Amino acid sequence: MFKKALLALPVAMAVGGAAQAGEWQDPADVLNNLLEANPDSAYLHQSEMNIMMMPDNPALWVADDGEELFYQERGPNNASLESCDFGKGPGVLDGAYVELPRYFEDVGKVMDFEQRLVHCMKEIQGFDEDDAAVAQRHGSGSDIMQLTTYIAMQSSGMEWQPQNDHPEEQALIAAGEKLFFRRGGAQDFNCAACHGQSGKRIRASVLPQMRNSQEWTKAVSWPAQRAGHDNVRSQNHRIRGCVWQMRHAAIKPDSMANTALIAFWNDAARGEPAILPDLKR
Amino acid sequence: MPGQSVRWGLPLAVSAALFTTGCQFFGDADEGETDIAAMETDELVEHIVFESDSYRLDQPVQEGGSARGRMEQDDLQRACSVVGGELSGDQVQEVITLARESYEAPPGGPRLGDWERGAELARSGYGFRVGHRNDDHSTRTPGGNCYACHQMDPNEPIYGTIGPSLAGYGSGRGTDEASLRYAHEVISNPHQYFPCTEMPRFGANELLSEREISHIMAYLLDPESPVNQ
Repeated sequence: MFKKALLALPVAMAVGGAAQAGEWQDPADVLNNLLEANPDSAYLHQSEMNIMMMPDNPALWVADDGEELFYQERGPNNASLESCDFGKGPGVLDGAYVELPRYFEDVGKVMDFEQRLVHCMKEIQGFDEDDAAVAQRHGSGSDIMQLTTYIAMQSSGMEWQPQNDHPEEQALIAAGEKLFFRRGGAQDFNCAACHGQSGKRIRASVLPQMRNSQEWTKAVSWPAQRAGHDNVRSQNHRIRGCVWQMRHAAIKPDSMANTALIAFWNDAARGEPAILPDLKR
Repeated sequence: MPGQSVRWGLPLAVSAALFTTGCQFFGDADEGETDIAAMETDELVEHIVFESDSYRLDQPVQEGGSARGRMEQDDLQRACSVVGGELSGDQVQEVITLARESYEAPPGGPRLGDWERGAELARSGYGFRVGHRNDDHSTRTPGGNCYACHQMDPNEPIYGTIGPSLAGYGSGRGTDEASLRYAHEVISNPHQYFPCTEMPRFGANELLSEREISHIMAYLLDPESPVNQ
């Protein structure tokens, strides 16, 4: 583990110099600024109740639980996650979430946030694939969602800047865009079927438009308390749900398709501040 | 395979053992051997969909076969996968032609079924979903999910707006042969009139039976239907 941390150092130093895009802001303030700047967005303004509830977002409690878990010595190796490198150096969480997915030298590939978190829990803490700590991906009670909410929150108000310098990062963002428009499944859907126009609804839900970055930053701002589910949900959970509704084949977490979609999602929100955690219908 | 020449120097047994362990550990047989940055984007997308272990392609699906079939595009899906969605005139013509070629009128011509049954089908979004939960067609019939995108009965408050409002659809159209034929053509394969529309091909792709389509047509066109009140 110590050796791993040393190996990660040159990477940390290489990217450490880059300026953070924006200062930390309370998620309720980030949302309020977006609402004021976009008075006509039906998507952003659709739930008065959720907007009002932002300061008391139940996801904030989940983030507290995640903080405790992050520093706790756990797993077969009895180690904390403080040496986990999310791309800005071991243990550096400020602004790390909004810069993912990114290419990691130590694994030789691009990883999204959840994939990286699971990687660290296995490598550093010694959890096995089948241990509930890493196998249970969904629900406010899961370690993964608690850790995700805490770590993501350290990037609230900062701009989405998924890394795009490495050729593999560029390749996956481009592939993610094509996947977004790739028709398939029993009913011919692609992601753009629901996210290609502004102000449209599926039943009662107003849909975010992918090309409108100020709507899209809220759309991709997971983790978020999903009021209708009474649970905090992740980007992975949103993708899984959309793919299921599209009647495509089921998508796997930690997969290249999942990472490519998230890379493209976050790229489409590039430069906009993230609301972390958010509150959604 | 760039790694192979390095392994040639090792005794065969050791080499094989290393390779096997690597596969199990990463759970993705081709990782490390595929240079994704060297691929054209279209090639990479197909690699991601079919070769990268990203989807549960072997899962059985309701229409028979496996989920792999869901991800293999037909000509129309491929033609409508344009990034940004802007089609050239030629592409529009190609899609309309494909749609017309695959259209089949029902035996004996289109007719109106039971609008009450049509109302149920229009409200139900059940069917064809696979993954963490699978829709079981043996316990519940798949619906048409019309309300997800269209207004229909003007008294139904919850409706989507991706498609045009169909409230009062039958009022101005009547129930002559031409309006029945048009409604059937659009429900069966809407790309004949709306190339690369978001709407599924309910008849051409056998998402609904001809009988079920006749019920939905009645919901739209029957003067008694609440859609036309």
